[in-house]
Amino acid sequence: MIEKSVSRRSVLAASLAATLSIGLAACGSRPSEKAASDTDKPLVIGISLPLTGDFSQPGTEAKRGYEVWADQINKAGGLLGRQVQLKIVDDASNQDTVVSDYTKLITQDKVDLLLGTFSSLLNYAASAVAEKNQMVFVEPAGGAPNMFTRGFKYLFFAQPATAPHQADVFVDWIKSLPEDQKPKTAAYPTQDDPFAAPVIESMQKQLEALGVQTVYQSTYPADTTNFQAVAQQMAAKKPDLIAQGAVFEDGVGLVRSLKQLQYSPKIMFQTSAPSNAGQYSSGVGVGSTEGVFYTVSWHQDAKTPKNAEFVTDYKAKFENADPAEDAADAYAAAEVLAAGVTAVGAVDQAKIADWLHANEVTTILGPLSWEATGEPKGKFLLGQWQSGKAQVVAPAEAATTQNVVNPKPDWK
Amino acid sequence: MAQFVQALALGVLIGGIYALMASGLTLIFGVLRIVNIAQGAFLILVATFTWWLWRATGLDPILASVITAPLMFGLGWVLYRFVISRIRGQAASMSVLLTFGLALVIEGVLNIVTGNRFRSATPAYFEESFRLGDILLPKAQVYGFLAAVAVLGGLYLVLTRTWTGRAIRATSQNPSAAALVGIGATATAALAFALGSASAGVGGSILSVLYPFFPASHYDWISRLLGIVVLGGMGSLPGALCGALILGLAETLTATYGSLQWSTLVFYLVIMVVLLVRPQGLFGARLREDAA
Repeated sequence: MIEKSVSRRSVLAASLAATLSIGLAACGSRPSEKAASDTDKPLVIGISLPLTGDFSQPGTEAKRGYEVWADQINKAGGLLGRQVQLKIVDDASNQDTVVSDYTKLITQDKVDLLLGTFSSLLNYAASAVAEKNQMVFVEPAGGAPNMFTRGFKYLFFAQPATAPHQADVFVDWIKSLPEDQKPKTAAYPTQDDPFAAPVIESMQKQLEALGVQTVYQSTYPADTTNFQAVAQQMAAKKPDLIAQGAVFEDGVGLVRSLKQLQYSPKIMFQTSAPSNAGQYSSGVGVGSTEGVFYTVSWHQDAKTPKNAEFVTDYKAKFENADPAEDAADAYAAAEVLAAGVTAVGAVDQAKIADWLHANEVTTILGPLSWEATGEPKGKFLLGQWQSGKAQVVAPAEAATTQNVVNPKPDWK
Repeated sequence: MAQFVQALALGVLIGGIYALMASGLTLIFGVLRIVNIAQGAFLILVATFTWWLWRATGLDPILASVITAPLMFGLGWVLYRFVISRIRGQAASMSVLLTFGLALVIEGVLNIVTGNRFRSATPAYFEESFRLGDILLPKAQVYGFLAAVAVLGGLYLVLTRTWTGRAIRATSQNPSAAALVGIGATATAALAFALGSASAGVGGSILSVLYPFFPASHYDWISRLLGIVVLGGMGSLPGALCGALILGLAETLTATYGSLQWSTLVFYLVIMVVLLVRPQGLFGARLREDAA
């Protein structure tokens, strides 16, 4: 009896699988028919994104960013007079799947253009497929240094800067201070994280060159929860500036410990923890956010071209949700690709790449331009918490306020 | 000198709280021979519930353990009777799989119900400190430590002074002999699991004030607790206390006189050395099957 039902089930499964594979084969064969670049046909952009798995959260945001861009450009008449169609597939956050996805998009679906996926891990593999097929690959995320040591010609990173240059805008602000307000001593605790540690290391080097004396430096592992000893050591050295490479809970943990040990530095900088708006302010207490600096690639209220439209359309499309930085980065990547295509006036991959190497593109993240390796030459935004709200204080053209809180008031 | 005393004080405070969190794990192992991988998830579950209660009613998070401990006692008892008891007598690996599954279910449910974001309860005193001369003692840590000491003391009294407690210890020392003198194996096991869960009820409430947490934080906590329990000797309550104090002091002193980067490593080095000299842990009893 049991055997019988099992065999019936497996027959059913087999026939289902057969039907599915025929269906899939049919799907796969259709787009390849349109090889001719007929102006009536839509311009197809192939994208693979981590819509499930580890990176599903940022992956889904990136998808939304791309979709908002496609809606806008189609409403405005399309790209080169053709409607844009996004062909988005899911790579399940898997490096092998992302390679086969992009290979299939290029060789079988014969998409006209590509846009990048999410995270350095996935873009590292995906960009190699694009490079081999000589197709322009603009990625919204993927700033790991080894992305740009491979001599790729078709790779472009659509964020203002890679990790080692993320804090440049903060160093510039320190340089701009009158001599008596510049910090004399600094402490640099950082999490051992590929996107936190390089920011702090580079900042420390630049500030030491400016004559800021380092009184404390330490790297801690990702699972550290107990920050009292670190806070205690820093409090004993009384640095003017504390700059922490903070992912999130470590940023909250250190601020709390500093408050408990009653030490408040004149200037406080944290890499990404303060950009998680509500979660950060509820973790440290709204009063204590006052004056804390951080850097970020995008801000909702930044006065960059088209940013307001992006935010409005995103909210309208997605139930009034606030767009995440990841969605804005994806939108900017699409803007970069579109600028190249429009300037060249044709889908000519080599010419688009050449044009992007030679020109600056205006995006919602601000102006972007690239080294020959695809590494961006720009700067991040300098954010600061003021009266319970995250503001942009530099650079001037993107600032949401002219006011800078300095020195930081005591913790509240 | 002040710095040393300060580091020592912080280490002892945090060690006491670690001890409470680890006590449930070691109690459950002692009686049931089950490594409850879900103990970390219990902590996060309680912390989330405490946070919610604090937000909704303003009830002090550490006091909330008066509510969370009985709730977790009940949950532990139900879980034992309907889930855990079904794998009694099977290989230890089964219990690891089952409780790990339980941890994943709790994490998943928290993700869906409460969302994947960081939380932490911030009552008025969470960032204040008591000052003793040059030494600063964070209030949240002090209250958490006092609650932990009270619960551990209570647990000790129950285990040594009551018939039920003696039954639990007897079952932990020799299950067959305990059964021979009339101790019900299932009832005692359910009680031990429920008590172990209840200690996570208090531990989780304290955690909600001391550290930001999110559904997947339980991995960090269970690895820390397992380290403590292995160092102290699986199943030994004084062992858990001792292991927890060593971890708290190792973390704080290494971070003060060396670097925070080394603090985890130092703790595991201590574990390795202890296990080389005493494979059963500091207070662990050597079982006959270990010697064979």
